[in-house]
Amino acid sequence: MKDLSVQNVSMVYELPKGGSVQALHDVSFDLEAGRLLTLLGPSGCGKTTLLNIIAGFLAPTGGAVTLGGEPITGPGQERGMVFQQGALFEWQNVAQNVAFGPRMNRRNRSETKELVDGLLNTVGLTGFGDKAIYELSGGMQQRVALARCLANEPEVILMDEPLGALDALTREKMQGLILKLWKETGKTIILVTHSVEEALFLGDKLLVMAPRPGRIEQAHELPFAEVGLTSDPRKLKASAEFIEKREELLSMIWAMEEQIMGHEGSMS
Amino acid sequence: MSEHIPAPAAVTAATSGRFGRRKGMESRKTVTFGDASEVTTSKVWMVISLGGLMLIWWLIKRGPEPMIDDKTFPGQRQVWDAFTRWLREGYRRGSAWEHTWASLSRVLKGLLVGTIIGIPVGFAMGLSRWLRGIFDPIVELFRPIPPLALLPLFIMWFGIGEQSKVNLLVWASVWVMIIAARAGVLGVGGSKVHAAYSLGANRWQILRYVILPNALPEVFTGIRVALGVSWGTLVAAELLGTEVGLGATIYIASRFFRMDIVVVNILVIGVIGVAMDIVMRILEARLIPWRGKG
Repeated sequence: MKDLSVQNVSMVYELPKGGSVQALHDVSFDLEAGRLLTLLGPSGCGKTTLLNIIAGFLAPTGGAVTLGGEPITGPGQERGMVFQQGALFEWQNVAQNVAFGPRMNRRNRSETKELVDGLLNTVGLTGFGDKAIYELSGGMQQRVALARCLANEPEVILMDEPLGALDALTREKMQGLILKLWKETGKTIILVTHSVEEALFLGDKLLVMAPRPGRIEQAHELPFAEVGLTSDPRKLKASAEFIEKREELLSMIWAMEEQIMGHEGSMS
Repeated sequence: MSEHIPAPAAVTAATSGRFGRRKGMESRKTVTFGDASEVTTSKVWMVISLGGLMLIWWLIKRGPEPMIDDKTFPGQRQVWDAFTRWLREGYRRGSAWEHTWASLSRVLKGLLVGTIIGIPVGFAMGLSRWLRGIFDPIVELFRPIPPLALLPLFIMWFGIGEQSKVNLLVWASVWVMIIAARAGVLGVGGSKVHAAYSLGANRWQILRYVILPNALPEVFTGIRVALGVSWGTLVAAELLGTEVGLGATIYIASRFFRMDIVVVNILVIGVIGVAMDIVMRILEARLIPWRGKG
């Protein structure tokens, strides 16, 4: 298992009309293998930019990201990705989507089939292998995206608001699934979310990011994800400890949003 | 997903008899103007429309002194007789089937070549900045030129025979195919490509397993449109140097003032055009079932 290290990462976007935007400023943190990190912050804080840098889709303008000491220079299959809108291949059925990674790596067909069946079982889609993507609900599509990502045995799973497009009930169920997968596979997970509750419930480590320039404002070590699977999630989310944390973070993010609004207000 | 509001059985029965109304639930909707799902093709209105056309045709040819004489436009009886004679005996050098096949095969050859050239060029334009830069002005400049304008040049270059006709039909289809293929490539969401890279795909695999299948719906639409455009270019392509073909027949018959033959061939071209489009739609539903459901 490999540890992830983000060292002094900065990202400056040059604007086409001249000038520039500092999307990330001097972001550093270390993440030991097997942890579930949630990234939380108001819009424009650079959390998705940071995730894309870790995924290797963007090269930072300063600093570096390493996985197990190796610098990240581009996308790679040791870092799996789950997008907000599945990014599934709708011309393939469910099983073919899950088998995409092994197929690209020319893995043995019968082994792949076994692997796919197992993964579909893990994400609760047993018997759905032959279904077309467009026949599935949003929640089921995200289950396929999770299974597809797991099929390549990545070291790190990166999730960009994976539950953002789902309704509240489906969202709670999927949170449970993510916790279960985390516990069962022991993989490192980094999850970007704009939901305070989700960041608290899922993260065993939480980074709160702030905008202008995008930076890490606070780091929290959280107890909820550890017990989230064994105890009743609703009770957990209604516990005094959880609510206190939630309100603390909410008022902080509210303050940041207000500041942005004020800033933009004064510009116009 | 459209909303389905259930209707009580009695109301359904009372309103289902109206023209063009589908039976059942939609009849409970209070807002229908502007609701696209309410504007469906109705067989009743299609029959009324075609019947209306036939009626107008009959009215303008009515009586011993019709509004329009036979030299200008033939009557239904004449056209029907010409059609049955055309089916039995053909026209001049060819049977009805030979004329039809000559035209069909020219269009299909032109479409095939247009597709074989158009798809790779369109893909290249969607994948590379400099190839796009090179091809963009060429496509934009040549696309609006009507094929008929090129006929003299093509005859000079490719002769009076089949080659210049097929090449004219290639011209008619290739620009449509280039633009369709380019749109198909540009339509691939960044996240699908990113997902594939993260799953270990290399460049070639991205092209083969992501970009190509993702572009299929657009490419298929391109083929359908190109087929229609080529079929519409048929008369121009067959204007010179042949006596076989539906378009050639129209041209030759018009020089002998055989308006009945002209109208028969116009109608045959129209009906075949509609039939081809229906076949393409059925193929599309079979081959690309995910279209519009993403």
